[in-house]
Amino acid sequence: MPYHEFQCSKCIPERKQHAVIKGKGETLTDALPLGYLNTIPGSISERGCAYCGAKHVIGTPMKDVIHLSHGPIGCTYDTWQTKRYISDNDNFQIKYTFATDMKEKHIVFGAEKQLKQSIMEAFKACPHIKRMSIYQTCASALIGDDIEAVAQEVMDEMPDVDIFVCNSPGFGGPSQSGGHHKINIAWLNQKVGTVEPEIKSDYVINYVGEYNIQGDQEVMIDFFNRMGVQVLATFTGNGRYDDLRAMHRAHLNVLECARSAEYICNELRKRYGTPRLDIDGFGFEPMAVSLKKIGLFFGIEDRAQAIIDEETARWQPELDWYKARLLGKKVCLWPGGSKLWHWAHVIHEEMGVDVVSVYTKFGHQGDMEKGISRCEEGALAFDDPNELEGLEAMETLKPDIIFTGKRPGEVAKKIRVPYLNAHAYHNGPWKGWEGWVRFARDVYNAIYSPIHKLALLDISKDEIPTDKGFETQRMLSDADLSDEIKNSTTLREYTGKYNCLKDLRKKTYAPFERRELADAV
Amino acid sequence: MAEQMNDKIAQMENYIMKKCLWQFHSRTWDRKRQNENILGMTKRILLGQPVDKDTPEDRCYWVDAVTMAEAFRERCPWLADMTKDEIAALMDGLYERIDFLTVTGSLNQELNDQHY
Repeated sequence: MPYHEFQCSKCIPERKQHAVIKGKGETLTDALPLGYLNTIPGSISERGCAYCGAKHVIGTPMKDVIHLSHGPIGCTYDTWQTKRYISDNDNFQIKYTFATDMKEKHIVFGAEKQLKQSIMEAFKACPHIKRMSIYQTCASALIGDDIEAVAQEVMDEMPDVDIFVCNSPGFGGPSQSGGHHKINIAWLNQKVGTVEPEIKSDYVINYVGEYNIQGDQEVMIDFFNRMGVQVLATFTGNGRYDDLRAMHRAHLNVLECARSAEYICNELRKRYGTPRLDIDGFGFEPMAVSLKKIGLFFGIEDRAQAIIDEETARWQPELDWYKARLLGKKVCLWPGGSKLWHWAHVIHEEMGVDVVSVYTKFGHQGDMEKGISRCEEGALAFDDPNELEGLEAMETLKPDIIFTGKRPGEVAKKIRVPYLNAHAYHNGPWKGWEGWVRFARDVYNAIYSPIHKLALLDISKDEIPTDKGFETQRMLSDADLSDEIKNSTTLREYTGKYNCLKDLRKKTYAPFERRELADAV
Repeated sequence: MAEQMNDKIAQMENYIMKKCLWQFHSRTWDRKRQNENILGMTKRILLGQPVDKDTPEDRCYWVDAVTMAEAFRERCPWLADMTKDEIAALMDGLYERIDFLTVTGSLNQELNDQHY
């Protein structure tokens, strides 16, 4: 695998070791991009900071919590509502953001008084919320405010509240990934083991590294409930603060996003002996294998199989409708971290698209190992990209679509490349069988939107055709399809509801079973 | 003969690298433990030998091993024509190969970090 040098980065020669092209017959031992290093000066990175990684990726999806940033207002405001980690309590954690609004005078005289006042004000403003996370920022870390002491003082005065302190200032790591690590360990050290849960089932798991983007967690919880598996806590999407304090009592940690949450699983394994099972929740086959593995662990694989059979029969004809129309489309898979390996192989196999490039903004070399292993030969893989490299890659590879965040996504639009939001989704959830079809539908809608063809015309110089009417998506997507596929009576477009979570939230389940099983773990 | 064996190992390696995640834990000692236990159990399953899965940790290895053994049987029909000695040698070769790709030959600079 040769290293790849971007023309635009020739002036930053160190960048060369951050990109490789997967060659024929070559392996990970031939070349691997560097990763999880400080961004090279001169390269305008797309990364977030360690505060952002701790608060906005992992902390804030907790739903029954006041999330308070101890720092200037910009730290919390500029990153507010950037991800759609919804919750079933009216999205409290998305609707509100809190900050101590530190100013220059606090830098000089200290901000502990201001912090205490803000904590009290926040609890007073939200009397139904009794839990709080406080996030240190660069400013409060540099002046050395003792956040733990202030939090303890408040907890002594208000015995019905509980406060978690996360010391992960923005400078505390090369990227947001440093913040993931810090909050994982802080939560484990401060909070795990401080609540004893009610165990209702013989099969108890924590679902870790899942952030309920547009309802992903709720889709997965439905499967677990149908299997009779009790989910003690979700770390952290749609998760409750007190449930997460009881993580030590699960029988198994089911880990989805290893990039952001493997640390807590590894430590739970070391301290409490709870094993870690890595799963893939995206795509039909990976989803089926994942449920089966959880079923096998508890000796209830037949329940997993029943779900797999039902869901596959319901949704396969719809996935195949999209696959027939997406075959051979070129994709740049440019997410933040874990989706590069969660999706690289399965969008190729199940949606028919070709992944021509993968990148990761904050991934480690381990993420690149997984991603490169899973994508096909010829793919360009690079770490910590900058905007110019992204543009150069798009001009060279000519993708039909890119899956990325909204900052690089808007750049792609400028050169008329459609994008889907890999972090926050378009019309999610995208997990589970139905979710995967919704993802395929979003890909289809993006690639075949007539607007892209129209947008390519420059009215200042191109001839505008006046003899043709408006083209529809179907006219574009079905132009080269065989009659057999076009007229298929088995394949069909997505037939689910606009909001597929509404019914899920009303669903009831049989009570969990508690029985003595000789082979239950 | 050796070429044939390498071909077979490559097919199994391709499955592991594309479909599995267990081989990419974040540290050398962790990867070694995963490789040894999961591939060791897969070998015993393919040889029809009993597997010890009494502890939660062993059961977790076994889950990946049994899934993989099932996939190998499905995707590698030539396994059915091999003797037990041949399967044992094949699995030893696969273990060596995965250890090389993920540990001894890996270019991942974080593998030997003392902390998680």
